[in-house]
This record gives sequence, C-alpha cells and structure tokens, in this order.
Amino acid sequence: MMWKALLIAVLAFTHCQAVLETDANTLVLLDNLAIRETHSIFFKSLQDRGFKLTYKLADDSSLLLSRYGEYLYKNVIIFAPSVEEFGGDISVERLAQFVDDGGNVLVAGSEKSGDALREFASECGFELDEENAAVIDHLNYDASDAGDHTTILTSAKNLIQADTIVGKANRKSDAAPLIYRGTGLIADKENPLVLKVLTAESSAYSYNPDSSVTDYPHAVGRGTLLIAALQARNNARVVFSGSLVFFSDESFTTAVQYAQSGVFHKQAGNRAVAESISQWVFGETGRLRVGSVQHNKEGERLPPEQAYTITDPVVYTIAIEELVDGQWRAFKANDIQLEFVRIDPFVRTYLKQTKTGAYEAKFKIPDVYGVYQFKVDYDRVGYTHLYSTTQVSVRPLEHTQYERFIPSAFPYYTSAFSMMIGVFVFSFVFLHFKDEPTGKSSKDDKKTQ
Amino acid sequence: MNKTPKMLNSKVAGYSSLITFAILLIAWLAGFSSRLFAVIRFESIIHEFDPWFNYRATAYMVQHGWYKFLNWFDERAWYPLGRIVGGTVYPGLMITSGGIHWLLNILNIPVHIRDICVFLAPVFSGLTSISTYLLTKELWSSGAGLFAASFIAIVPGYISRSVAGSYDNEGIAIFALQFTYFLWVRSVKTGSVFWSAGAALSYFYMVSAWGGYVFIINLIPLHVFVLLIMGRYSPRLLTSYSTFYILGLLFSMQIPFVGFQPIRTSEHMAALGVFVLLMAVATLRHLQSVLSRNEFRKLFIVGGLLVGVGVFVAVVVLTMLGVVAPWSGRFYSLWDTGYAKIHIPIIASVSEHQPTTWFSFFFDLHILVCAFPVGVWYCIKQINDERVFVVLYAISAVYFAGVMVRLMLTLTPVVCMLAGVAFSGLLDVFLQEDSSKRMGSAIHAAAEVDEAEDSIEKKTLYDKAGKLKHRTKHDAQQDTGISSNLKSIVILAVLMLLMMFAVHCTWVTSNAYSSPSIVLAFHNSQDGSRNILDDFREAYYWLSQNTADDARVMSWWDYGYQIAGMANRTTLVDNNTWNNSHIALVGKAMSSTEEKSYEIMTSLDVDYVLVIFGGVIGYSGDDINKFLWMVRIAEGEHPKDIKESDYFTDRGEFRVDAEGAPALLNCLMYKLSYYRFGELKLDYRGPSGYDRTRNAVIGNKDFDLTYLEEAYTTEHWLVRIYRVKKPHEFNRPALKAKERTIPPGNSISRKNAKRRKGYIRNRPVVIKGKRTLK
Repeated sequence: MMWKALLIAVLAFTHCQAVLETDANTLVLLDNLAIRETHSIFFKSLQDRGFKLTYKLADDSSLLLSRYGEYLYKNVIIFAPSVEEFGGDISVERLAQFVDDGGNVLVAGSEKSGDALREFASECGFELDEENAAVIDHLNYDASDAGDHTTILTSAKNLIQADTIVGKANRKSDAAPLIYRGTGLIADKENPLVLKVLTAESSAYSYNPDSSVTDYPHAVGRGTLLIAALQARNNARVVFSGSLVFFSDESFTTAVQYAQSGVFHKQAGNRAVAESISQWVFGETGRLRVGSVQHNKEGERLPPEQAYTITDPVVYTIAIEELVDGQWRAFKANDIQLEFVRIDPFVRTYLKQTKTGAYEAKFKIPDVYGVYQFKVDYDRVGYTHLYSTTQVSVRPLEHTQYERFIPSAFPYYTSAFSMMIGVFVFSFVFLHFKDEPTGKSSKDDKKTQ
Repeated sequence: MNKTPKMLNSKVAGYSSLITFAILLIAWLAGFSSRLFAVIRFESIIHEFDPWFNYRATAYMVQHGWYKFLNWFDERAWYPLGRIVGGTVYPGLMITSGGIHWLLNILNIPVHIRDICVFLAPVFSGLTSISTYLLTKELWSSGAGLFAASFIAIVPGYISRSVAGSYDNEGIAIFALQFTYFLWVRSVKTGSVFWSAGAALSYFYMVSAWGGYVFIINLIPLHVFVLLIMGRYSPRLLTSYSTFYILGLLFSMQIPFVGFQPIRTSEHMAALGVFVLLMAVATLRHLQSVLSRNEFRKLFIVGGLLVGVGVFVAVVVLTMLGVVAPWSGRFYSLWDTGYAKIHIPIIASVSEHQPTTWFSFFFDLHILVCAFPVGVWYCIKQINDERVFVVLYAISAVYFAGVMVRLMLTLTPVVCMLAGVAFSGLLDVFLQEDSSKRMGSAIHAAAEVDEAEDSIEKKTLYDKAGKLKHRTKHDAQQDTGISSNLKSIVILAVLMLLMMFAVHCTWVTSNAYSSPSIVLAFHNSQDGSRNILDDFREAYYWLSQNTADDARVMSWWDYGYQIAGMANRTTLVDNNTWNNSHIALVGKAMSSTEEKSYEIMTSLDVDYVLVIFGGVIGYSGDDINKFLWMVRIAEGEHPKDIKESDYFTDRGEFRVDAEGAPALLNCLMYKLSYYRFGELKLDYRGPSGYDRTRNAVIGNKDFDLTYLEEAYTTEHWLVRIYRVKKPHEFNRPALKAKERTIPPGNSISRKNAKRRKGYIRNRPVVIKGKRTLK
C-alpha cells in the first residue's frame, strides 16, 4: 500500500512539474486597458491553458522584469503598438537580454508603431515598415474594407510549412483565409533564424495608403511579411506581427468575404492560427529534448573505460523526447542523423527508432585514431534546435592486439629454424670431422677470420 | 704507452690508476656542480619546452607502468587527432629515469620522479666524461683522455643541453654516443665479436634515446669505407663491422618509433651499402687467395661493373617505387642550408635549426676550438685505424655544427677529445724533466688565482698526467734541447689558457645556459635587485584551476608541451611538430581576421586561446615576433588565404605601429596581443600603448573583440588567455543600424532616475466630465 501511495505522490509531483512549465507568469504590456477587452478571446484562451497573465500599461513606471537577478516572468506579450518608450525597468535592451536569457516574447504592431517596437524588431532581425505604411492588396481585400484596401485577406496556404507553429489543420487548402490589417514586416535576408510565419498574397504591397506611390515599396508581393518569428540559438522564441487587429476578438469572430471573387467564409481562420502561434511561441509545442545518450561497443553494456579501438563495432542510442500536452513523450521522426566527427564527419547515418522509442545507430568505427564526437544535430523549422555531442577517444591497436603469426612471415620462420638446424648439424660435423693433415693450414686461416 | 712502466713498476701503476680515478671523480663532481646554477638560482624545476613532455611521459610511465606507456594514446595532445605517444618517442630517456626511480624505491629511498628528471643530465655528464676518457685513451693516451674528460665535464657546448632541469634526450644521448664510439674503436682494434656486440648494444641504447643515432649509423660505415679505400682492410674490420651492423640493425628496429626505417629510408642506406661492399671486398680477398692473377682480374672487372650497375638500378627503382623513402626534410637541410627556408618553414622556424655563427663556436668551446686542429693534425700525422675514425668524426661534426646550431652538441665531444690530444702532445714535449720545478709553478699558479675547483682540477690533471708521461718518455726523448726557461714560459702560458677556459666555462654556464625560461629573472637597473617574473606558471596554474577539465587551449606550438605538462589541458599543437597541416591551421587562425579565425576555432572546438605578449616588459621571444613564421607556415598550406606579403608594409617592413600593414593590424594575433594595450601607459612621459619589445606605439589601439573575451592576463601581461565564445552566445544576429532598410528614428530617452514613466504616443487621456464621442 505504502509504495503505491509513494508512486502516486511521485507521479503527482512529476505531473506538477509539467504543469508548472506552462503555468508560467506572463507579462502583458498594453497601450491602454481597452485592448484587454477587445482581445479578450485570445487572453482567455491563454488563461484556460494555465497562463497567469499580468496586465500592465507599457509606460507604467513600476514595470519590473526581474528582481534580484531572477526573472519574474517567463513570457512577455507586447500589445502596445504605439509605445515609444517602455516605462519602469523595461527597455529594448532589457527585452533583448530577456530573450538572450531564454524568455519568449509575442509582439504585435500596427501602422503607427512606435520606436520602441522598431528597435526591438531590429534586435530580432526584422523591421517594421515606415510609419503609416500599411499592407495594401487591391485584389484580395475583405468585403468590410473601408475603401483603401488595407483590410486584406490572405489564404491559409501562405502560412509557413511547419505544423508545430501554425497547426496542421489550419494549413489545409479549404481552411478559411486570415484577415489582417496592419503594417508589413521586412526580414533580414542574412539572418538564418528568422521564420516567415505568414506572408501576404502576391498582389499585396506595403505603402502609405494616403499618399501616391512614388518610391518602390519596401515590401512587395509574397515578400510582404505579415507575421515573422525568430527562434534564437538558445531556443527562446519571438513572434512579431505587424497587426494587432489580427489577434482581436473582431478578427476571431468575423465572417470574411473576398470583395472581388465573393468567396465567403463563415469565420476567419485567425482564431485557430493565433492560438497555435501562441502555443508555439510560449513553448507548448515544438519542443524537443535529449533524454539520454548511451554508446557502447556492440555486445557490451557500458562504454569502454578509456577509449574505443579503431574498427570497433559501436552502438549509439539516444532518447529524444517531445513535449506533447505538457508531457514529455518519445519523439517520432525518420530523418534524424548521427555524425561521427573528427573535424569532418567520418560516418553519417540515419538513426533508427527502436521499440522503446529511443533512436539507435550501429556502425563500425573508422580505421583512423583520434578524438571523435557523436553528434546529433537536428534542426527543423518549428522545433527547438536539438544538438547533442558526446566526445570519445578512438585509440590505435595495442601492441598485443596485432596478429602474431601471419602467413607472410612463414618463410622467415622457416629460414630461422633451418638456420638453427643447419648450424647444429654443421658444428656436429665440424667437431667430428678429421681432416687430412694437408688441408689443415687453410682451415686455420679461416678460423682466425 | 702505459704498459711498459706498469710492468716495470707496479707502484707507479697503482699511483696512475689512483690518479686516473681521482681525476675522473673530480671531473664528474665539477661537471655535476657547474650544472646546478639553475637549481640554486631558481628551483628544482623542468626547463623550457621539450623537457616538459619528457617529464610528463616519464611521470606517466612511472605511474602506469611500461606497457601502458608503450600503448599510451594521448588524447590531450593534437586535438582532435591525438598522439600515440609510445610509438612516437625515443623511450630511452624515460626508461633510464624510470629505472633509476625504481631502483631507488627498491632501496627504500623515496625520491620524487621530478627530482630524478631534473638531475639526470648532470649525473650523466659524469658518465660522458668517463666514456670520453675511455675513447680518447683508445685513440691516443691516457693523459689525453684525462684532459678530454675534464674538458667535456665543463665545456659550455655540452652544458647548454645538460644543465639540471634540462631533461632532454641529448642529456643521455651524448653519453651513449661516446660510449658507442669507444666500443666501436675497441672492436676495430681488437677485432673481437665481444666488443662489437657491446658496441651494437650501446648503439641500441643510443637509438632508444635520440634521433641523432643516425649520426652513428653513418659515421661508422664511413669509417669502414675510408679504411677500405685506404687499403686498410683487415679481418678484424670484417668481424667488427658485420657483427655491429647486423646486431645494431636488429636492435634498432625494436624501437617502435624507428620501426622499419633502418631498412627503408635513405639515411640508413649508407650502412647497408658499406656492409655489402665489405662483404664483396672480403669475397674478393678470398678469391684472390684461391684464383690465379689473370682469372681474378677478369672476374674483378666484370663482376665489379655488374654489381655497381645492379646496386644503382636497385636503389633507383626502390626509391621510385616508394619502398625506400626519400630523404627527410631535416636531412636535406643538413646538406643545403637554404633548403629549409624555402621548402619547410616549420623546420626553419626553430631557432636551434639556424646556421651557426662564428661567434658561437668560440662562445661554446673557447680555447678548445683553437687546440682542436692541432689534435687533428697530430692524429693525421700518426695515423692508424682508429685515428682515421676520429678524424672523420671531427670533419663531419664540424660540417654539421656549421649547418645547425643544435648540432654543436655533436661537435663538442670530438673537440674535447682532440684538444685533449693537443694539450697532451704539447705537455709531452715541454714537461719532460725537472718535476720539482713544474710542481712549484703549478702550486704557485693555483695560489695566485682564486678560481673554482675546475681550474685547480685542470692543474692537477696536467701535473699528474705529466708525471706519467714523463716516466714513459724519459729515456726516449732525453736529448731534445729545449731550455728550461722556455719550457716554464710555455707551460705557464698553457696553464693560463686552461685557467681562462675554466673561468669562461663557468661564466657562460652561469649567464647563458642556466635560465629555465619558465621563470624569467631580470635585474633592476635602479637598485640592482633581482626580480623574478613567474607569469608563465601563473597563467598555467590559472588554466588548471579555472577551466573545465576537457577545455581545449589553442596556442602556438611552442607552448603546447608546457600547457599539457603544467596546466594539464588539451592542446591543438605542440612541440612534437609531426603534423604540419594542423600547425598551419592554427597559424591560419592566428593570422586571419577575427571573424575568419572564429570559423576555424569553432571547427576545432577551441575553448581558450593563449598568447605570449612581451610588449609590457620587453620580452623579445613573444608571439608577435614569431608571427611571421606562423604566416609562412600557414601560407605553405593555404596559399590562397594567407600571403606573407600582406603582412609587410609597402616598403617591406614588419611593423606594428600606425604604418603597419592593415592585414597585420587586424589579424587575430595582433588583436589578442594588444587588446586594451592602448589604454596602458607604461610610464608618465611616454605615450599610451607603447610596445617596449618593438619600440613603437601600436597602430591599432581601440578595438573590441567580438568572438572572444579576455579571460586572464598575467601580472606582467606576458601570458594572455582569451575565452572563445560559443555559438549560442551569439543568440540572435541583430540587425545593425547601418543595415536597416528604414533608417532608425533618433528617439532620446525621457526616463531618468526619478521619472521612470515611459511614453506612449497618442495615449488616450481621461478627461473627467465628458462623454466619449461615438
């Protein structure tokens, strides 16, 4: 009975931990408290998933991100497009530091984004378009549009091809289009970490709707980014949307109709996509971790004490876990590779999943000694960067491990032994041979030599 | 020479052996004690670079046993290649000191292995002087042998490699060299299998101790060859050489590092050729005694031609097929002094591989270098089999010493021997009578000059040895008419020379060769006090205490052994320069820009970078002064990326000030050396950032490091250690202000210490008493 209770307690405890992960404190910075009401569905869904939201005005002088070196929040939502400068302790540098320390940030801007958001965007590798610039699409605008064609529709196929970020169902061809009103984003082309989560249709561009087009727009067609994301190298996630309206109750519930073609959908796709994005950005989906790594010589249990020997057959096992509904489960994929690296990879092979869910590879260590690393570098869009290296030494053969009697040496053995026998026979003959007295002198000569 | 009086008078023989024993003992003691300067001035530590590896290997062997050592795969060296230590060292040194340690432990004398390593070379110097005595005695006379033994005990050319703490192969190899030569000369003299087998055994010890064994395996065949040409063939020669060669060959192949080289590389082919030749000559001799004259002539011409052509073709074909390896680079550089500079910068970059200057001959050998030709002349005048050997030894050693400073070491013993012959010959002439007068002058000289025991010993030596010689030649040369005044003048002059020699040796030893180079000492010019710079050990200790156990440290290869030995951290390259391309990679990292070298460093998993910087204290052996070699070595492997000419100014100067080449001012080595040096003012009047080593104000003062950060700098800035940032520390490539499509606004912070409120544009303001308009 006792041990069962203990088991339950342990289970409860581990479960608690899993809950704690998602039960993180989240700071919500707002332009004004009205946004809390206009975006209530989005906030409600977060609260339902266990997030504890703390609403603050973005210019509040009592804002505090960390105290005594510990962060008070795990996630920050900035729904304050027009903030020019954050209040209190928070600044763009502090936010960037927050990201570098592993915090997740969700930001929504608008046509009139303030400097604070622009600076923070460029810290993450993208830019908001000029002030007053909005994404305009003269073909795919919503029927409710006021006339400047800035309330645009973009079809679900423009979402990034990553199920963990936008959800599998939301990318279907018959999914409802997404309604958007806001500015365009420009991504740094050199930055490999930026993900284009949502782009506009090919007929869109980003410009000030009130002025005539004189310069070439900064963002045109599919290049017009609507929602961009950054997964930093420490797996902190930042999502930037050019539109605050995208997350509003209105967009979540409204019916959409293409003004040109007249295609009608009862409800815009925004709600499902926004929820899916928020799940990703706050680390509820798309998270991988290495459970355990084990390597050993084939047929043995433990890794060798000192080093492997060249040409040893080796078994490498790695357990990879994914966070699914708050619990770590074995991850399923068929494209995970293992490299055996010494500056360059000497072996590169697919890892195969075993019955227990762990991945395994068997190979023969190359005939080159040195210090190697078992390296699993699994980097897929929408998942955390999985990187695991294990250093092992590979030594050459010991002096006792070489083959001792090799066929090519037999002539030498033969000659050695025949020589010995020959000397024995010769000395026997020499000692017992009595020469004629005439030949004696020459023999003596030889002996002295 | 000594035999006759010995037979005549056993009392004299007793004295002579007592004197010999006493002199050799004194030579041993003098040699030992004059090598202790470094220990007394500093402490009992291992010196320089290579000895640190030898010490580490010895300690490993003592701790883990011989077989573990033989199979030791060192994963901490040459990361990530690793090094098979057992198969790439000459284990003689480790076995010797390990054996002594074992013996002392058996006798319940607990001595730390480090102390054995420190004092091994001084102890072996005594053995060297004994074996020099034996060799010279074989060649000339016992008196000359005593001279030679005393010379070699204190001569700087040998001391430079064998001071206490200089735990290197050469320390024991010179003993092995001299002893092998002694046994070889003995065996040629006697023609006995016993002595030549002894020579082969001693050769085996030499092979196990030092790569210089190649000198033996070429000199002895040369000796045999010259003897054959001179028509001095004898059955003794046949016996001794064939025994020595076959046994020596088999023995030398037992050393794992040597392996099959003796039958595959060109360096060893001369020995084989002479062996074949000797066999041919012996066969011909035999045929000559059997066949008639006419038959023999025909056979000789035809056979000789056939054999000659056959051998030539065989050697060419084998070399082309790659069975016989071509000459190694180090060997080429022996013949063509310019070869290394053009083809193998890594060999040329070592200071001890530079050609010798005239100055250093005198510095290392002093008066002996003048007496040495006299000895050669004596030997040539009274030539016999073994003197041919010493003449060849002298000629070849002089040549090699002229090519490389390092090979001064092989010249020194033969110079000592021949100088001993010369002095002994001189005293033979001038010390024939009137022993009382001679004694008086000697004592007089001893009283006059208060000198170290070395010089006194020298006097004793001449004195007693002279007595012996006096008796031997008493009757033979009675009627040489040299006046006693002239004799005493000459003897006094010789005495003065020898005294000056002893003074010079002591002076050189104490000033030039007794610095551990781990610890630096300098004299303060103001108050004359002696200051110790212990920056190297400070840095290595910091590394060992503050970095992860498996941290990988990149530095130039000079410091590899020290890092491994003192800090016990993984190194990328070290003083065992076996892999040129790996060194070139490190050189490339050092000479590229920070960004490019970061790529190299991440691919090599570097955690820390260590550079030596002497600009603050004026230490000239630092990395900036070695930098051109890094560039050259890197250029050899990566000619597209690195060009030596980029690092010179337009006028071809290598300078670090503002006029220096841009490639130099922006390379990693420059940045690591001078990081934050521009802020440092060394004295009140001078400008900041003044480099004392190169006497210039540095050209690139204000720069920041992106990919590295300073981890530690020692007290006198001599060693600087940087940490290489990991990729995840560059968490998110931020967009720089310049790169933005939309120019950044110039907002100014409105927050201050009191007012912490932020600012929201168009913020709705609540106005009381009004309705919202909708």
